[in-house]
Amino acid sequence: MVNKDYQVSELVENAISGDKASLEQLVSLFHEDIYRTVYYRTRSRMDAEDLTQEIFMQMIKSLPGLKNTACFKPWLFRIALNRVRDFHRKKSILNFLGTTTDVEDAGHVGTETHSNPADKVMQKEFWKQFHQFTGTLSRWEREVFTLRFLDHLGIREIAEALKKNESTVKTHLYRALKKFRQNPELRDLLKGELS
Amino acid sequence: MKIQTIHLDEEQLIRSVVDENDLSADVRNHLSACPMCQGKKQQFERELDTLGHMAKIFAPSPRESVTYSEKPGFFEKVGFYPLLRPVLAALLIFGIILPPALLTISEEERMARLVEEMENDRQLMTEIRALEEDALPDFYQDISGEFYGYFDEEFVNFVAPMEETRIRPAGRFASSPD
Repeated sequence: MVNKDYQVSELVENAISGDKASLEQLVSLFHEDIYRTVYYRTRSRMDAEDLTQEIFMQMIKSLPGLKNTACFKPWLFRIALNRVRDFHRKKSILNFLGTTTDVEDAGHVGTETHSNPADKVMQKEFWKQFHQFTGTLSRWEREVFTLRFLDHLGIREIAEALKKNESTVKTHLYRALKKFRQNPELRDLLKGELS
Repeated sequence: MKIQTIHLDEEQLIRSVVDENDLSADVRNHLSACPMCQGKKQQFERELDTLGHMAKIFAPSPRESVTYSEKPGFFEKVGFYPLLRPVLAALLIFGIILPPALLTISEEERMARLVEEMENDRQLMTEIRALEEDALPDFYQDISGEFYGYFDEEFVNFVAPMEETRIRPAGRFASSPD
């Protein structure tokens, strides 16, 4: 982890000083993580792909302004979360005006990664249970929980990405985990997968 | 005497997953020594790891990688991006914002325009009245038989003489005076 962080910092410094290869390496290192982060929040593959592209363009533009290269990861996630927030805001305005239709993948189904019908059923059931659970969380609880256990950010990284202090993040995470413990359907699904 | 062991309760278990360092020293010591509590914590963490793992495998992979050339916007397509912005801004100001201000006219000009419009109206009404009298254009007046402006009295008398101006024939056909 420390080695990876050091490697990222070095790549960031090189990219800032104009090394295109480092920049490309940096993008390829975080591309899938950022794509998934967006996908978990938009539930649409197409939107996730478009937003991921925009996020990295924003990253490239703003990189020279990054002061602490060690904070690159939370900084990048912050760009991603802001873009997703803008996307939802724009979408809700368009929905209000009736000029758009929802293109969310119904239960995240329709991905060619799972051709097996049993996998498809499992996939559908998983996302259904997951969204039912996250529907019980407040906005911040959901954001912190997703960043921690789906995006695999540490508490400090989450605090930096959300511009909140660590104790606030821990409080939201504690509340989210408490609700998770009270959700037998999702836990049974996960236990079934574990056994 | 049997020592009663106090295991981690639900709240402490959740806190241990959030951040073990936030637990009190006693609870931390117990956790490090108690296999049962460690097992519970590990089970909980495995559930959360599975959640993350399943989300990852059930999310589709991106179909395309990031492209570095940003789609050109309007200004980039036009070409002289840095110069065009102030020009377009000036056009915007002088073409859209200023014209209403420039169109405000003085009182004298307004009166002159009003008089001109009244004169035009008067001329129009005159033409309309003339048309009421005779709607045919000049070109058709000579074939309509209603326009005699260019026939003088002499010509008319020649075509249709009055009794007193009629020329009497001489000779045997002349009527004898009574």
